[in-house]
Amino acid sequence: MLWNALSETLLQLVESVQAPPGSGVIVTEALIEIPLEVQSAVHSGELIFFATPPHSRWVSGVLPHTHLGRIQIELMEAESAK
Amino acid sequence: MPSEGSFPVEDFITAITSQLDRVQDSLRVKAVNRPLTYALKDLALELKVFVEMDQQGKVRFRTSGPNEAGASTVNLGFTTITKPMIEENTITMAATRSPSLQELGMAPEEQQKLERMGVSNLAQLNRLGSSAGVQTISRLAEVPVDRIKFAISQGQPQLHGVHPDGSHDPTIGGPKSGPIVSVPPRVTPLPSPPIRTTPPPSSGSPAKTPVIRVPIGSRRLNLKGNNLVGEDGPPAVRLNDKSLEVLQAENDHVVVDLPQAESGTLEISLPNGSIESFELSVDQDAWAPGGERT
Repeated sequence: MLWNALSETLLQLVESVQAPPGSGVIVTEALIEIPLEVQSAVHSGELIFFATPPHSRWVSGVLPHTHLGRIQIELMEAESAK
Repeated sequence: MPSEGSFPVEDFITAITSQLDRVQDSLRVKAVNRPLTYALKDLALELKVFVEMDQQGKVRFRTSGPNEAGASTVNLGFTTITKPMIEENTITMAATRSPSLQELGMAPEEQQKLERMGVSNLAQLNRLGSSAGVQTISRLAEVPVDRIKFAISQGQPQLHGVHPDGSHDPTIGGPKSGPIVSVPPRVTPLPSPPIRTTPPPSSGSPAKTPVIRVPIGSRRLNLKGNNLVGEDGPPAVRLNDKSLEVLQAENDHVVVDLPQAESGTLEISLPNGSIESFELSVDQDAWAPGGERT
């Protein structure tokens, strides 16, 4: 199973907030509730959290538990993002 | 007993926070080439964890594994805050620079007992001691009064020496190239010093102020000692009642600017309020380039 760091998953979620090209619509705010499979590991003495969306919808005793992530994303002007 | 894969709560939260910082940094870089960008405003995580406690009494979290029933649910919320909010809700940087309980010679179990009262360094111990009293801290934390007084005395600022820039540093060794004034280590007074019932023996002559001989070209003064930086910052240094600028301040080393060659009285106000006085003497004949030493 491929585990992504929590930061990578969050970045990909932020990236995904895009209106269809040419639609003239701009998404100004998004609230995403997403189940996440969470795992932790120590790499080079640093604790790292991995979090990825569940790879299966099946519930079984061998699959990791899913945790809930609630992410609020909002549009900002580049100047204020600095 | 903590099981494998469990972490202290602070490590747990720090790890998530550093991942969020990485996200914000990446989005900030992306904003360089885009007029509009998205920012992560809030993140809430509902984590299923097992809560454990280790032998030191620290709470640890372990994320639940497959087929593990009975996990607790911890809701963690992260939001973006501004710099003033950080400053308002955290202790000052100066307070964090204060010597830790370990540096003060406290045993691990004594550290743990004091940390439960919100005391993790000397500045916090002094603040609590001045408001509640050492006896009260001792009673509530179940740490002997002598040990608390010992820790406080260990953390008192001590000035070991003053020497001009470019002169010999006694801690490094090597040939002596300039004058040094060393201050004998002081015996720090305990909070309740014994009352003297007989007058101290007179030495016959008043104590002489130590003299610091400074070469004409010296631009800086180095102060060496322990715990020189207090909660309110580095020691205040005055030459002839004029403040000298502190260029660098570490707990054991402070560098002050010496703007011009001027002899006079040098006063160093240490963080505990005590003042060390010296006579600064600019020795032009002996230390000027090409000058003769007498």
